[in-house]
Amino acid sequence: MTVRLADEAISAERELAEFMAGLAGEGAVVSFLGIARARTPKGETVERLVLEHHPRLTARSLDEIAAAALGRFGIASLRIVHRRGAVPPGEPIVFVAAAAAHRRAAFEAVDYMMDRLKTDAVFWKREDTPEGSRWVEPREDDHEARARWIEAPCPE
Amino acid sequence: MKIGFFGRLRDALGDEREVPVESGETVAHLRSRLAGLHPGAAHDLLSPGVRACVGDEMVGEDFLLAGQDRVEFLPPLSGG
Repeated sequence: MTVRLADEAISAERELAEFMAGLAGEGAVVSFLGIARARTPKGETVERLVLEHHPRLTARSLDEIAAAALGRFGIASLRIVHRRGAVPPGEPIVFVAAAAAHRRAAFEAVDYMMDRLKTDAVFWKREDTPEGSRWVEPREDDHEARARWIEAPCPE
Repeated sequence: MKIGFFGRLRDALGDEREVPVESGETVAHLRSRLAGLHPGAAHDLLSPGVRACVGDEMVGEDFLLAGQDRVEFLPPLSGG
């Protein structure tokens, strides 16, 4: 399990190659790359996305999400690499990968980790545009996506 | 006591401020006091979505701050 905060641009090719070099015969690898968008939901041009982090809580939140995925799905290994600081549009924000004996567990683990990263990872996002800077508010649909993974007891 | 700010609060108040803690002061009381001192940031300081954190753990509004070195105020997370 590799979890890392990155100050520099993420190379998806290198991350995937390193991840695959650590495999031990698994038959499925799923990877996801999240990219900084070029426009805000209102259509403004984004000059850069700034990901502010906490000196300890951010790493702890990423570790917790990774450990939960490892314990919940039948995956053999995973990798989370997340940018912090200023990210230009078009550059990766996050790389997530999971490896499993069969594909379903790997797909589900990556889906789960991304939903958790969007709501539970300790980051504050700011979009800088020519019109000014704006802190991004939590999105309701991200919380709805996160809620899909809450395990409720079966009704009696 | 040092008070740390993140996200939009950091824009308004800076990384950190030193404020003497009053005897018996709770998180809720400190929020009100800071809001009075910094009216421009009062809306965010008093927002229930902004959580207080001591020793890297979230604390409630009744938490007593006496004896603590530092408290941090964390706006709602906006995700990775």
